[in-house]
Amino acid sequence: MRARQFDWIRMVAIVFSVLTVATVCGIFLFLLAGSVEAWRHEGFSFLAKNHWAYRKQFFEAAAMIYGTAAVALIAIVLAVPIGLSTAIFSSEICGERSRLVLKFLVELLAGVPSVVYGLLGVLFLRNWMQTLYEKGNLEVYSGDTLLTAGVLLAIMVLPTLSTLFDDAFRSVGSKYRDAARGLGLTRAETTFQVILPQALPGLVGALLLSFGRALGETIAVFLVVGRADNRFPKLGGVLHSLVDAGQTITSKLGGAETNIAVGDKLHTSALLGLALVLFVVVVGLTLIADVVRSRLSSETVA
Amino acid sequence: MRRLTDRIFTLLCGLGAFIALGIILTVLGLVVFRGAPAISLRFFTEQVRSVGAEGGIFYQLVGTLILIATAAVIAVPLAAGVGIYHQLYVHTPRSRRAMDAVLHALNGIPSIVFGLVGLAFFVQMLGMKKSWLAGGILLAVMILPTVTVAFIERMRAIPKVTIEAAYGLGLRRPQIALSILFPQAVSGLVTGTLLGLARAAGETAPIMFTAVIFAGATMPKGVVDSPVLALPYHIFVLAQDSFDPSMTQKMWGSAVVLLMLVMGLSLIALPLRLKIHEEARRV
Repeated sequence: MRARQFDWIRMVAIVFSVLTVATVCGIFLFLLAGSVEAWRHEGFSFLAKNHWAYRKQFFEAAAMIYGTAAVALIAIVLAVPIGLSTAIFSSEICGERSRLVLKFLVELLAGVPSVVYGLLGVLFLRNWMQTLYEKGNLEVYSGDTLLTAGVLLAIMVLPTLSTLFDDAFRSVGSKYRDAARGLGLTRAETTFQVILPQALPGLVGALLLSFGRALGETIAVFLVVGRADNRFPKLGGVLHSLVDAGQTITSKLGGAETNIAVGDKLHTSALLGLALVLFVVVVGLTLIADVVRSRLSSETVA
Repeated sequence: MRRLTDRIFTLLCGLGAFIALGIILTVLGLVVFRGAPAISLRFFTEQVRSVGAEGGIFYQLVGTLILIATAAVIAVPLAAGVGIYHQLYVHTPRSRRAMDAVLHALNGIPSIVFGLVGLAFFVQMLGMKKSWLAGGILLAVMILPTVTVAFIERMRAIPKVTIEAAYGLGLRRPQIALSILFPQAVSGLVTGTLLGLARAAGETAPIMFTAVIFAGATMPKGVVDSPVLALPYHIFVLAQDSFDPSMTQKMWGSAVVLLMLVMGLSLIALPLRLKIHEEARRV
C-alpha cells in the first residue's frame, strides 16, 4: 500500500475556510471591542435617547435608528406591491420566454451601482419630490427628506425583491399548479390558494433579505436624506418627520464625521458602535431569512 | 364572477410588471440619454481637469480597474479553497449549513461597515495610508460569497455518478478536486468572479475611507501608501456639490461609463449563468 500522500489541497481549503470564518467573526469582534468605550460612556441611552453632538461628547443615536428604520420601511412598503405583482406575473402568468426576458431586465436593474441611483436621486427625484411637496402645501425646505430616500431605496430594492419573490413562486412544483388548473381553478385562485401558501416561507425570507439590504444601503440614501441630526419625532409628528430631512446610521457613517473622528477615541468608538448596531440587525435578518428559506426547500422536497 | 376576479388579478399583476419595466427603462434611459453626449474617445484618455468640469476620467477608470483586479486576485483563490472544502471535505449537512450561514452572513454585511472597519483596521491599527491594496482586500472580502456560491452551485450540478465513479476508481480526494471538480466547475468560478467584480466596480462605501481620493493620484507608486482615483467615488463627490452644467454633463458621462463597465461584466457572465441555472434545475 502506498503511503498516504500529504493532501495539500485539503490544507489550503481548510486554511482559506478558517480565514473566511475568522473574517466574519473578526469583523463582529472588532466592532464589539472598538465600541466598548461608547457603550460604557452612554450605556443604553446610546440606542434609546436622542442627542448626538460629538463636540460635546453626546452620542445618543435614537434619531438615526429611527431614520434608518423609517427609510427602509417606506422602501419595503412601496416596493412590495410592485415586486409581488411582477413576480406573480413572471412566474404564473406570462410564458417561460417572456419570464426570462423580464428576469434579465430586472437583474440588469439590480446591477446598477448605488452611486448611480444616488445621482438620479440628486438630479431628478429630489426636485420631483419638492414639487410634489409644494403642490401639497407642505412646509418643506428642500426635497432632501426621509421620504425621498425611501422612494429611491424602493426602486433599488425592487429588483432584489421581485427576483427573490419569483424564485419563491418557482420553487413550488409545477405539479401543484397543473393539478389546480386541471381542477378548474382560475389563475387567481391557483395563485392565492395553492401557490402562495407554499411559497410563503420563501416570500417572507425574500422580504427579510430585502429589508436588510435596505437598512444597510449607504451611498444613495446619503445623497438625498438631508443628513440633519437629532430629528426624532414625537408620536404625532411621525408623518411630518417623513417629509423632513433626517439622518440614517449609514448616512452618518458615510459622512464627514468618520474622518473627523480619527484620533478621537470616544467619537470613533461611537461610530463603530453604530456600525455594530447595523451589523447585528442586518446580519441577523439575513440569517433569519436563511432559516426561513431553508424550511421552504426542505418542505417542498419532502 | 370568478372570471372577472381572474381578469382583474391578471390585469393588476400585469400593471405591476409594467410599472417595474417602466422603472427599469426610465433609470437606464435617463443615465444613457444624459451621459451619452459626454462620451468621446478623449473622455477616456484625458485626465480630469478643473475639479471634474473638464477633461476625462482616465485615472478614475485605471483606479477602478486596479481595485477590481486586486479584488479578483485575492478573492478567486480564496473562493476556490472555500468551495472545494465545502463540497469535498465537509460531510455532515449541519456543518455544510453552518458554512453556508457564514457565507450568507458575510454577504449580508452592509458595505459601509466594510468601509468603517477597513478604516479602523488598515489605516488606524496597521498604520497604512489610504491605498489600493486596502481597497482591493475589502472588495475581495465583499465579493467572496458571490464567487464561492457560484462555484459551489456549479460543482453541485456535476452528476453524482461522475464523482462516485471517480471514488470507485480509487481516486483520492485531491485527485477528484483536480481532475473533476475544478475542470468541470471552473465556469462557476468565472461567472461568480465576473458578477462579483460587477458589484465591486460600482461600490463606493467600502473604498471611500480606505483606498480612494478625489484628485491628485495617478498610477500608484507604492503598495501600502498609494491611493487611487475611482469612478464611483468620483461620481459620488461630484454629485454632492455640483450645479455647474458642464460638470453635470461630465458626471453623467462618468455614470454611463461606470454603468457600461458593470453591465458589461455581468453580461459576459449571463450565458454561463443561464446554462448553470438550467442544469442545476435538471438535477
